[in-house]
Amino acid sequence: MFASLSFATSWILAGLVVLPLIWWLLRVTPPAPRRVAFPPLRLLHGLRATEQTPAHTPWWLLLLRIIVAALIIVALAGPILGGGASPGSGPLVLFVDNGWTSAHAWADRQTAITDALTNASGPGRPVAIVPTAADRAPAVTLMDSGKAMRSARGLVPEPWLPDRKKAAAVLAASHFSTPPDIVWLSDGLDYGDASATARALSRIGHLNVMGDTVGRLPLALRPERNEVDGFATSIARAGGMGGRRGNVLALGSRGEILATAPFRFAAGHDTASAKLRLPLELRNQTQRLAIANEDSAGAVRLLDASAKRRAVGLVSASNAQSEQPLLSDIYYLERALSPYADLHKGTIGDALDRNVSVIVLADVGRIAGSDRDRMVKFLSDGGVLIRFAGGRMTEAVDDIIPVKLRTGGRYLGGALAWASPQRLASFPDASPFRGLAVPRDVTISRQVLAEPSVELGGHTWARLADGTPLVTAAPRGKGWLILFHVTAGPAWSSLPLSGLYVDMLRRLLLLGGGAHPGDVGFNSATVLPPLATLDGFGRLQKPPADVLPLRGAQIVSAKPSASHPPGFYGIQGSERALNAVDADMQLKPLGDIGAPIRAYSSAAAMDLQPWLLAIALLLLLADGIVSLWLRGYLANARRWLVPGTAVLLLLPGAPDFLSARASDLDREAALDTRLAYVITGVGDVDQMSKAGLTGLGLYLKARTSYDPKEPVGVDLDRDELAFFPLIYWPIDPRERDLSPRALVKLSDYMRNGGTILIDTRDQSSGAGGNGPGQQALRRLIGKLDVPPLQPVPPDHVLRKSFYLLQDFPGRWDGGKVWLEALPPPDPDARVSPARGGDNVSPVIIGGNDWAAAWAVDASGQPIADVAGGDQQRELAVRFGVNVVMYALTGNYKTDQVHAPALLERMGR
Amino acid sequence: MGESFWQFRRYASEDPASAIDWRQSAKSQHLFVREREWEAAQAVWFWRDASATMQYKSPLAEITKCGRATVLALALSSLLLRGGERVALLGRGERPWSGRTALPRIAEVMAEAPAQETALPPDAPFGRNAQIVWLSDFLSPRADIEAALNRLSSAGACGHLVHIIDPAEEDFPFEGRTRFEWLGQSQSELFGRAEFVRESYRERFIAHGEEVSTLARRLGWTYLAHRTDNRPALALLALYSAIGGEAERRTG
Repeated sequence: MFASLSFATSWILAGLVVLPLIWWLLRVTPPAPRRVAFPPLRLLHGLRATEQTPAHTPWWLLLLRIIVAALIIVALAGPILGGGASPGSGPLVLFVDNGWTSAHAWADRQTAITDALTNASGPGRPVAIVPTAADRAPAVTLMDSGKAMRSARGLVPEPWLPDRKKAAAVLAASHFSTPPDIVWLSDGLDYGDASATARALSRIGHLNVMGDTVGRLPLALRPERNEVDGFATSIARAGGMGGRRGNVLALGSRGEILATAPFRFAAGHDTASAKLRLPLELRNQTQRLAIANEDSAGAVRLLDASAKRRAVGLVSASNAQSEQPLLSDIYYLERALSPYADLHKGTIGDALDRNVSVIVLADVGRIAGSDRDRMVKFLSDGGVLIRFAGGRMTEAVDDIIPVKLRTGGRYLGGALAWASPQRLASFPDASPFRGLAVPRDVTISRQVLAEPSVELGGHTWARLADGTPLVTAAPRGKGWLILFHVTAGPAWSSLPLSGLYVDMLRRLLLLGGGAHPGDVGFNSATVLPPLATLDGFGRLQKPPADVLPLRGAQIVSAKPSASHPPGFYGIQGSERALNAVDADMQLKPLGDIGAPIRAYSSAAAMDLQPWLLAIALLLLLADGIVSLWLRGYLANARRWLVPGTAVLLLLPGAPDFLSARASDLDREAALDTRLAYVITGVGDVDQMSKAGLTGLGLYLKARTSYDPKEPVGVDLDRDELAFFPLIYWPIDPRERDLSPRALVKLSDYMRNGGTILIDTRDQSSGAGGNGPGQQALRRLIGKLDVPPLQPVPPDHVLRKSFYLLQDFPGRWDGGKVWLEALPPPDPDARVSPARGGDNVSPVIIGGNDWAAAWAVDASGQPIADVAGGDQQRELAVRFGVNVVMYALTGNYKTDQVHAPALLERMGR
Repeated sequence: MGESFWQFRRYASEDPASAIDWRQSAKSQHLFVREREWEAAQAVWFWRDASATMQYKSPLAEITKCGRATVLALALSSLLLRGGERVALLGRGERPWSGRTALPRIAEVMAEAPAQETALPPDAPFGRNAQIVWLSDFLSPRADIEAALNRLSSAGACGHLVHIIDPAEEDFPFEGRTRFEWLGQSQSELFGRAEFVRESYRERFIAHGEEVSTLARRLGWTYLAHRTDNRPALALLALYSAIGGEAERRTG
């Protein structure tokens, strides 16, 4: 705890050396005597008392006074508990690990940066911020603390790992006039470069290292195994200290939670496992797995189409061969497919009954009777039928085959054959197998032959070195019909013994998900454009503009980086996932790096000065009472007690002043219509709210007829809310819970027609989100009677109350905005261009951090950077105008839509 | 006081008209006053010390020493005047007063009297055979008191010393670290614990009282100590009988 104690002006502590002097002075100065007027003074002259009062003050009183003096000196030095670096004179360099490993506790970093900058905000002290996971080559720019603060607000964790070596090298290359103070805000992990980095930084300047406490080190979600009954996940942590528990979630594409499984790290272990049990249908809807409450890209596994499990029906004509499994076709198919699919063995009818998406027929010559009709329907509905040739097929075959076959087969390498067994040719470009490596040792010794025709080439997905088709395929309805011209077992070829067999079958399984064959395969030259990428917090977003497409050759080996952040690449339906964590990811905590590591304190820096001064004051009071007692004044203590008690009783009367302030605020609020924000008690958030509403007020004044006066902050506990049509409420995890009184007030306010604009400021959306703001929101208003919500429908009046708006960006873009669900539209009524309820929605919830986008400083200049630049800021302002208009005018705009109709009716 | 004839003398303007012997005056051009034996000799002269130390009142007392001295002086005057005696204030230059009107005048003069600088009686004329009542706390140096007493005695007076004592002065009830000081006296006395000097102080104080008493007896004066927290009646009674006794001694 004391490790994080720092002093604002530490030189004052030098004053502690005068304490012995004070001790000596106090010792030689006896307490002042009582003065008494006494006429026979002459008679007293020359008397000697037999015993004098000790001229020395008692030692415990001396000690008390010394403590008071020490407390005052320490308090003047401005002790700060927690927080960032101690101020020095040189430049301040913040060396920030901003990989995904920092994202789970990013608020700690922000607090530490803010504290360090606040402490550093001496006159003209330059500050540089060096992120180790920069998207560009980091540049060391010295800024003043104000600009650094803005830059720090824009700093976000990136979804890849930090490259400390590069950042340290850049820092070493830049020139400082005096050795800088370096604060390394580490992620607490060692990638093998930690001590080298620490050494390099120590050479540049004075190094302070901050790291997470062991219990808060990041977790990583290793690649999952898609097993028969669910996902088996493995979670890695850094260091094995203590137990730790948590949950793993399976999330659908809209963020809905499909399953939850707990995991627990045993003490001393750095790996835990959890099994998410899910039925197959739900498993295939799973878009990602995530560790609950661990908002980082490393705690998210994206699942692409190849991870989906298909239900596959296996049908073989010869069921009686199970006593010789190595000769059975089914055995090889089962071994190849079972890791990737749920297999159902049986007859064709059984497989169709089980609603499979892929059916594999091994050496079935004819599909007979009703099975045939059902099979045709299965294909036209989108099913995939994979047939393997065999002895039966050479004799008689039905018409459910992609190409016409010759009767009889072809032997290669037999005693009477003229040709040796054939190898495979490389796969054609149109084939889903393209890009798969062709092993040299796969030979085909027997096959069924296709009747040559013009379109045969187009139907061929694989052929032998001499050009004869090995795999042919043809679409049937929405489905695909695929024929392997060899057996599923090793009787005709060595293909089933090779890995290629498995890969080919996996590609074909993808067709069962509706993918186009051209998209399923890729070769080294295929370009996979980014579809959606993760940010550092593990949220999917539109890929930033500087993300490069992946090459097919890279998809297996690519490491996440600035040009290839983790995410989905490829084409919708057959996308490939690039994840932040791969199977051999090891997390190692920072060991001994030659510098002490201070822990981030989750609490904000606490200024101890007022407390120390208060203690000193109390001790002084005690000292005064003791002195009075020593001088004998307390004999008539009763006379002192009364005024003393009166003073003590008056002190709690101080809230009277506050209530006086409250009534002032009520008067001001009642005289003018003002915008209001909730005072969260978190300083920077409140400042931003005030600046934001001030900025919005300026825009409103310039663009509308409404001229709001200066915005006011309201305290939900104390202030009357009824005067405000709209209250902006930013949500911050540091906010305290609402008191029951505040909850009642809020409910009344919402019921009586007020509107609260809640801003979680974390860009999240949706009910299942787990952003820090969302969690705080749930904690804060969980007990509140909130009406049913829906995302803003396209025809809602909020989109049209002043400007016509498509979406509602703030500082961020993309978060969904929710408000009270409208009653369903009346299907009989004419289509109305705008809908709103009879009332204004009591609550509007979003997470785009609007206040930051609106915020202006005293000179009217924007304070915060907006992700999308001026264009997005303009849209944010328009949203603000719309919200205010919506709150002020209610359903007036909706009614106005009917104005032409009403006028027409009046004219008639 | 006397009844037998002593002499006629010419009337002076300050003589009351009732003192004129009209029979004798009718025999000549002038007015004559008949004087009787001892008549001018007996008067009681008061000296009430009103110096700064006399203005002291400790929390234990209800009245200042000066106040108590004034009360005693007035009460005694009242008793004497009722008995037909004459009363005067030393240092005020007036001849002794008598009669009913005298008491208010004495009170008026006493009330108006400014706080004297000096605690000792002034070198003022008084009639022969005067009795002097000296009310004071006798805190002046012993030599000064002795000189004043000698002077008064040599002028033919004798009388009574009334030692007015504040209870705090005698009992010394102080405790703890205390600095004793008095107006106009530059030095002060500091005691770490006042209670430890109480005994030696009281010895000194009693010795001081005895010193004054001894001085008085040697010259034939009486000495009476009076604490301001005691009832003044006792002191008054003792004083009155002392004055009566002295008068008897002289006439007898």
